Amino acid sequence: MASASQSKKPQKLPGDKPSWLWPLFRTSVLGFILFMLSFPIIAFFINAFAFRWFYPQLFPKNLSMDAWENIFNPASGVDLWGALSTSLFIAVTVTLVSLIIGMPTARALGMYKFKGKRIVEFLILAPIIVPGIAYVVGLNINFLQLGLASSVFGVMLVHLIPVMPYVVLTLSGVFANYNADFELQARTLGAGPIATFYHVTLPAIFPGLVVSGLFAFLVSWSQYILTLLIGGGKVQTIPLLVFTAATSGNNARAAAISLVFIAPAVLILILTSRFLSGRSGAIGGLGKV
Amino acid sequence: MTHVVFDQLTKIYPGADFKAVDDVTLDIPSGRLVAFLGPSGCGKTTMLKMITGLLRPTQGSITFDGENILGVPAEKRGAVMVFQNHLLFPYMSVGDNVGFGLKMRKIDKKVIEKRVDDMLELVKLPGVAKRRPNQLSGGQQQRVALARALITDPRVLLLDEPLSNLDAHLRDEMRGLILSIQRDLDVTTIFVTHDQEEAVLLADQIALIFDGKLVQYAPSTEFYERPISERGARFFGGLNFVPGTRQGNMVKTSIGSFQIATQGYEQAPEGDVMLTIRPERVQIVSQPADTNCITAKVSNTIYMGTHTRFKVQVQDDIEIEAARGDFTGSIETGDTVSVHFPEKRIWVVPRDS
Amino acid sequence: MFWERFRIPLMLAPTLFVIIALFMGGLIYGLLQSLGWQPIIDNYDINLDAYANVMFSERYANEFWQGLALTLWVSLASTFFTSAIAIIGALLLRESFFGKKVASFLFQLNLPIPPIVIGIGMLFLFSQSGLISRIGGSLDLIERSRDFPILVKDHLGIGIIMAYVWKEVPFIGVIVLAVLQSLGADFEDVARSLGANRWQRFRHVILPLVMPGVMSGSIIVFAFTFGSFEVPALLGVSFPRVLPVMAVRFFRNPDLNSRVEGTAVAMIVALIALLLVLAYMWVSRRAVRQE
Repeated sequence: MASASQSKKPQKLPGDKPSWLWPLFRTSVLGFILFMLSFPIIAFFINAFAFRWFYPQLFPKNLSMDAWENIFNPASGVDLWGALSTSLFIAVTVTLVSLIIGMPTARALGMYKFKGKRIVEFLILAPIIVPGIAYVVGLNINFLQLGLASSVFGVMLVHLIPVMPYVVLTLSGVFANYNADFELQARTLGAGPIATFYHVTLPAIFPGLVVSGLFAFLVSWSQYILTLLIGGGKVQTIPLLVFTAATSGNNARAAAISLVFIAPAVLILILTSRFLSGRSGAIGGLGKV
Repeated sequence: MTHVVFDQLTKIYPGADFKAVDDVTLDIPSGRLVAFLGPSGCGKTTMLKMITGLLRPTQGSITFDGENILGVPAEKRGAVMVFQNHLLFPYMSVGDNVGFGLKMRKIDKKVIEKRVDDMLELVKLPGVAKRRPNQLSGGQQQRVALARALITDPRVLLLDEPLSNLDAHLRDEMRGLILSIQRDLDVTTIFVTHDQEEAVLLADQIALIFDGKLVQYAPSTEFYERPISERGARFFGGLNFVPGTRQGNMVKTSIGSFQIATQGYEQAPEGDVMLTIRPERVQIVSQPADTNCITAKVSNTIYMGTHTRFKVQVQDDIEIEAARGDFTGSIETGDTVSVHFPEKRIWVVPRDS
Repeated sequence: MFWERFRIPLMLAPTLFVIIALFMGGLIYGLLQSLGWQPIIDNYDINLDAYANVMFSERYANEFWQGLALTLWVSLASTFFTSAIAIIGALLLRESFFGKKVASFLFQLNLPIPPIVIGIGMLFLFSQSGLISRIGGSLDLIERSRDFPILVKDHLGIGIIMAYVWKEVPFIGVIVLAVLQSLGADFEDVARSLGANRWQRFRHVILPLVMPGVMSGSIIVFAFTFGSFEVPALLGVSFPRVLPVMAVRFFRNPDLNSRVEGTAVAMIVALIALLLVLAYMWVSRRAVRQE
């Protein structure tokens, strides 16, 4: 009886190394990395509500909503609502357009072999490698002549350049794992091209499409220098506003605008983080540069 | 080389409410080739992983030559596993793959090269060391994986479904290779399979495993002629089962009473049993014999190439199958025939509850 | 027949239009500009004056070469540290433990946050009166804020590098995590069975398997950090400046002549980025082949 009940316990085996050493090491390293990575966000929240925050107070003694009232008050000279709607309009339009024109391209690159494929891949990747500053200085003058400068439309056009590589890369990763025989099966069962796309293709690539759209939105949403040089100061998006606030030295205002700026992005991440795993194949596409 | 013993080995996966391996006690003598046989999900791969050290048992022990090895980490245990899908490192040459285990032991490069060539020779793939794994066929990759395991002189060699990814003609070749290498090196080898034919063809001993439990551990012939459960018998292709009652040398069933031989049934159950006889042992006779003979109507004949299968309907709910290789006469569906169960070929198993 | 033949070109056409008309067009137009080609003022001569002026004139040479050195240092250092931390983080995150979902979320948190915001975050954290300094102050490690080392707006670009690391670790991290997830544990199990210890499994199995993904990610990170404007504009010093900042300053100078110099610097940035990326790809592909 005694030996039977003893064998039920998990055995401490001879020669086992202390089992807490590695988990402890792992947890502390990971904890440090995660803490440092999320530290800026904490700093934003403290700064945005701080009032007369004297050194070396770790937390401000007084909190205030001044910065928030200030940025949402048009009289303050900060047109946050205007910038927010301009930014959203540009980013959403660019995302949709890039997905629509990027999808067929990604399909061709992900599923078919054809002559000149490597050249096409290189061309599409090039805007990731060549900095925006290099093509935007040329476009600036060009767009001035074409009357596209200082217009939202011009800004959207130029945003497409850095967005397209991300969309095509992620989606081609998705199409590389995609079996088009399902489409043929649907067609033989009587589905037309549109019904096939809607009922077969779209559900299959949807997770990848979400990741792709996320990247597209973020690249456009974060764009600073392209908007500055093409918008010529007339197109005020949030990054421009944030930059001005940061260089003006008003920490509370810079923090408050920044939080408004990152809110949609973080929201999108929360909504889509389950798609960011390896399964959709989209991230794998990024790994194929 | 190594005598492997499981003692009351049990594995419950974290969060699971069933035992993946349930109280298995098993003795594998040194230098044997043993098959763990069972349907997929029966716990046989879990057992391999516990031997190799990739999983820790919940209870019980595993000993190599009397020494409990559960405290020895996988990388020092010397129980090398060859995975089902061979898993050659794609970024290394074939030679580097084979030499991997020696490199981990920090052995001199020159020595490794020599041993790699020897090993590739042994698995009949000389001269492929410089190639990439993806330049080899599936069968060749499997053999490289075998060489990669053998180069470390394992105490125990573990093979997970070594033949299941291969085409039929490659299986024979690989089977022969495993057999000859195992004999040559005399290494204790355990392999896992779901295919009873594969187990019979390769193994000295078979451990039949259902639902994590060791059902029967015996030489392969026993499983055909002397199964110890209906499920085990069915797994080995048993098809004929008739409920009955055994008293001494007599089994009474609803289709008649059958005489069984006087010897060889000491271990078989008495009382409520299931009478069973393998299809190839059932005789279809023209002259009804005095004993163990029933008449029935042929309900189906299937020509199988090497033999012909007959289904005969004895009662509404009892059908007997017979397989005959030498049958030349003309028996057709609908004919009434006499069916004979030779007394040495009848076996009984306990009724499954 | 028509459809079959032109199907793939048609699928590629819209994207290629964006790339060729806008991207290539912009580059070529910029290149011509930098060579002094100005049709507006009827100047069709092509010369290398702007390049010579930027690189070798007494006025700009020092600023240019020091700026180039700083740009290279900043992008190489941030790429290296980003990759290293991302690999470590992804490996640790892969194991299952309590609170993994929260940990994964925190790990990816900076992914959608724009670089300029991360830059401001670095100011809040690492400036002399920032949060880290305040932590030091409240622990009595430092007395006054100016005892805290200058980590942002410093001459070595440490603040810029940190901003990039903070921003890009999640990017390479999710790539590595995706690779690890698709691989599973089998290769490591094989290696373990063959006698590889924890370090050897990392060195000889995990690292070579994730390396292609890390390489791709680090190319993107390198190119991004090499050509990016807003973070160094915010966190840099006025001398030396990274080349993209230098280019934009020239370009936005009210003196229209300095536009040509600005364009020239932008072209140099593009050329160096392209050459370094190609060299890196060449070297790393070779390294992978030899492994």
